[in-house]
Amino acid sequence: MTPPQREQLEADVLIVGAGPAGLSCALHLANLIKKHNDSGGKPELSTENIYVLEKGREVGAHQLSGAIMNPKALAELVPDYEKSAPLDTPVTDDAALFFTEHGSFRFPITPPPFKNKGNYVVSLNKIAKWLGGLVEGSGVNLFTQFGGAQLIYENNGIAGVITEDKGIDKTGKPKDNYTPGYELRAKVTVLAEGTRGSLTKQLVEKYKLDNINPQIYSLGIKELWDVQPGRIAPGYVAHTLGWPVATDMYGGGWIYGLSNNRVSIGLVIGLEYADSQFDPHEAFQKWKTHTHIKKILDGGKLVRYGAKSLPAGGWYSMPRNYVDGGLIIGDSGSFLDSQRLKGIHLAIKSGMLAAETIFESLKVGDNTTKTLSGFQQRVEQSYIKDELWKVRNFHQSFQHGTFRGFVHTAFQQITGGRGLIDPMRAEAGYKHYKKLASPAAPPAHPEDRFKGDGQLTFDRLTDVYHSGTRHNDDQPCHLHILDSNICATKCVEEYGNPCQYFCPAAVYEMAKESIGALKLKINFPNCVHCKTCDIADPYQIIDWVVPEGGGGPNYEGM
Amino acid sequence: MKILVVTEQRQNKWNNTSFETLAAAQQIAKDTSSTVSAAILGKGLSSLADDLAGKNVSEVLLLEHDLLENYTPDGYCVALKQLIESTKPDLILFPHSYQVRDFAPKLAAQLGKGMIGDCIGYKNESGKLVFVRQMFQGKTNADVTFQSAAPWFASFQAGAFRADLVEPNTSGKASVNAVSVNLSAEQIRTKPQDLFKEAKSAVDLTQAPLIVAIGRGIKAPENIPQAEAVAKALGGEIAASRPICDEGWLPMERQIGSSGQTVAPKLYLALGISGAIQHVVGMKGARTIVAVNKDQNAPIFEIADYGIVADIFEVMPALTEALEKAKNS
Amino acid sequence: MNIIVCIKQVPAKDAPLSINGNWIKESDIAFEMNEPDSYALEEALRLKEKHGGEVIALSMGPERVKQTIKEALAKGADRGIHIADDNFAQLDPLGAATYLAAAIKKEKFDLVLTGLQSDDHGFGQTGVLLAGLLDLPHATIIMAIEAQDGKMRLKRELEAGWFQHIECPLPAVLSIQSGINKVRYATLKGIMAAKKKEIATITPQSLGVTAQPTQKVEKIYVPTKTKKTEFLTGTPKEAAAKLVEKLKFEARVI
Repeated sequence: MTPPQREQLEADVLIVGAGPAGLSCALHLANLIKKHNDSGGKPELSTENIYVLEKGREVGAHQLSGAIMNPKALAELVPDYEKSAPLDTPVTDDAALFFTEHGSFRFPITPPPFKNKGNYVVSLNKIAKWLGGLVEGSGVNLFTQFGGAQLIYENNGIAGVITEDKGIDKTGKPKDNYTPGYELRAKVTVLAEGTRGSLTKQLVEKYKLDNINPQIYSLGIKELWDVQPGRIAPGYVAHTLGWPVATDMYGGGWIYGLSNNRVSIGLVIGLEYADSQFDPHEAFQKWKTHTHIKKILDGGKLVRYGAKSLPAGGWYSMPRNYVDGGLIIGDSGSFLDSQRLKGIHLAIKSGMLAAETIFESLKVGDNTTKTLSGFQQRVEQSYIKDELWKVRNFHQSFQHGTFRGFVHTAFQQITGGRGLIDPMRAEAGYKHYKKLASPAAPPAHPEDRFKGDGQLTFDRLTDVYHSGTRHNDDQPCHLHILDSNICATKCVEEYGNPCQYFCPAAVYEMAKESIGALKLKINFPNCVHCKTCDIADPYQIIDWVVPEGGGGPNYEGM
Repeated sequence: MKILVVTEQRQNKWNNTSFETLAAAQQIAKDTSSTVSAAILGKGLSSLADDLAGKNVSEVLLLEHDLLENYTPDGYCVALKQLIESTKPDLILFPHSYQVRDFAPKLAAQLGKGMIGDCIGYKNESGKLVFVRQMFQGKTNADVTFQSAAPWFASFQAGAFRADLVEPNTSGKASVNAVSVNLSAEQIRTKPQDLFKEAKSAVDLTQAPLIVAIGRGIKAPENIPQAEAVAKALGGEIAASRPICDEGWLPMERQIGSSGQTVAPKLYLALGISGAIQHVVGMKGARTIVAVNKDQNAPIFEIADYGIVADIFEVMPALTEALEKAKNS
Repeated sequence: MNIIVCIKQVPAKDAPLSINGNWIKESDIAFEMNEPDSYALEEALRLKEKHGGEVIALSMGPERVKQTIKEALAKGADRGIHIADDNFAQLDPLGAATYLAAAIKKEKFDLVLTGLQSDDHGFGQTGVLLAGLLDLPHATIIMAIEAQDGKMRLKRELEAGWFQHIECPLPAVLSIQSGINKVRYATLKGIMAAKKKEIATITPQSLGVTAQPTQKVEKIYVPTKTKKTEFLTGTPKEAAAKLVEKLKFEARVI
């Protein structure tokens, strides 16, 4: 296809992603601008020149988290948040549990990282929707069903984003309603794409923004259940360690009680395990069969399913978050406390600090790193640094197994994060795979894989159905395999095609063609946008690009 | 109660669902000790009227007029309104055809009444008639009742009742009574023009009463003709679960499921389909579901009325043969 | 050509349904534009592009319905009318049409378009009832519209692959067949412009009509399978023969 004529639009600020970081940036900036204009500030600025792009069908559709939220950042952003924010329930009890296959015991004293008094159990989807309403009310232009497909590079930075082309059929030909993506230029572009942002990935690569550690990730798989009355108290929070996560892996589960007999459960697995045949979805289903969980879920109903990766690298994986004309915030910028598994307040705070930096930039008329580096300075002077600094070596500690991880983190706890090795280096997760000693068993036919019992445990496809994920089938596949020759040859032998196992949405299959050879089959409409494939593929040949806007999961209530 | 069945014909050929509606009416009549009459509209209908007179109805009402020769919503509404006002039936039943959808709700409204359309059945709850229809694209059923006095209007979905169960008239022939219709050209505002057939550019599976669907079990596109032979012998349409259409082995418009079509045919024959929920939501409204799969634990069997645990490659040719035999017998 | 498009907001297609009496629990459900109505809207926008005029998006229901009207505005409709009614889901077809017709009567229009039916109730009667209440000619399952000199030549779909041309005067009410066009995407400019377009909110009471219910949905339920699966045994040939017999004489579908 010849490159299309793209319509050009210009904004002062373009924010890619309407999650907590992007929305907080937009809202805080709008508030700053309003105050500025009201007090006669010059030059006069307009909130209408702030554009936010969101690839989901509506704000919140792609938001997934446990979640326990520390309200401190929200209190700064929306001082009367307690009256209007959808906070579900305050945390009433927090337990740390250790599971063995047949039993569990509760740590008599909940270790400090798992203490959550003062925090709220929330649905991030609902928080995002609420914030989205505030953002739209402030005059900001929020465009749903539009993704950032490519960056516009200029000088040493970026000048905006090109949105995805719409109306292309699965063979790449334009359809009747073909609409080329827009060339959206802005003085400052903020990448708030969440975990493993696709534009962020390109930007970090292009300008070598990586920190001393590359970003390392975990995968969180979640189910939302309505359970029988009396099984769970609202505000009950428990984190589990141990079974079924093996000691050479990092991971644990969560149980959060919401109001109205609804419970959020899930399992987080560090994506640096050695066994390429490990199946996180199956581990999660297994975890549910533990008597402690089963007791809660028995007689209940699965409401929704979802999965998302989390950036666990912390401070030392934080890319340089400013370039000429651009900033990186939220999960895209590694603003997540992986010890406490909390990123919402840090996302919000990073968005607010970015807004303050951008406000400065708009006032003085400079969008280069001269002013934008102020973002990093603000981060270092804020509680973001305080918090992330203390856990700067946390996730890396577990690269060599749980026991060593506990030893390291115990020392870190009493040394303000320094521990035995500082900085502790980490390798990208996919580098940890051990090559197969003997050829992998031929991949089971998708229908012969873990079936679940349909009541407590489910097969992938049933779970995926409950994610509400939908994509227009007639579009090019958004999962680009950069070298498709590897799959049926090298990867089969060396790693046994782990994509079939690490994808929580049954997107990847090694199907036997009728002539007997294996072939990679990609069921892209099932994709839940968790980015695990982009992260965990051993050859790094899976490139996740943004599909036609509006496609993806529907995380209502998640 | 007096039940009136409004039958449908075009160019002097029956729309056979008219007889399904007649069967429904006769059943309701038995249930409620009522009488059934049948009406037919058009021009030059004596032989069709004779067909009706041979059925167990109390009378056949023949509405003929030049301006009724070709269907128009205005013409039919004016004529039927006159008929209803003069004969005062209590319950007026229609087959839920494209044509009925075009005029019947308006006819009911003109008389200040409502029409419960596209019903898949009815219930008699101590003398009160409850009509059952589907909602949310077949995911749920709904019990619907009339809230006004008679006359009541309802239409039945194709296949909800069986035309072959229409009772014949055992005491000779019912009387055929011509009903005069006052209709003038000015009352008819739309002018029907040429009728034509087009090479089907898109298939509408939602209208197919019989569907043969294939899943992954078909293994390769070279095997699809075997399933198509079954469909042909059955007189049905071929359809597929998503993986087949994803591969391009069948066009996307043949896809059944949450991201394809939702269908509720009389018969759904699932060959080599496991029954993943994404597929099942698109077809579980089917009246009769048959599943053939070599895995006895395949979830499809949970919703099937009939199941065969066997290799579809052995069953398909046998089925084609058995269906051909049945056709010719 | 001034066109009013009746657009319904319905629960998102794959929303897991939680039944509540004769409707569903609306919390935790996403809503979207009824897909059949999106084809009617697209058709209206194409007619406007050809003949000029105005496209009005009309909808009824609770406050959330404004989101769907905004989508129509973002795609190119000129203004919206929202009949605000929290109890809309309880209205029967004649009730809904009564209010819609009353709102339509206040406007100057040449054409009223609707989709064929809604993905939730699926009554499929709105267009036809509107025609009756507005005393206008109508046609349904329309595949193509050609307008010239105050009248239209329509292509209507019939069963079994048949079609018919119809001549119809203006003004009229048409129900549009689904899938006849490729629905356009809302553009960024369209979304921004939509913010400035008018959505008039009116109450059902202000329309001065009352709708007497003619039918009532008593309850909705998931149809339960009344029979267990009957497995047909024997060799494939035997099983196939048994099946055909069952289909012919027991299920009576062939």
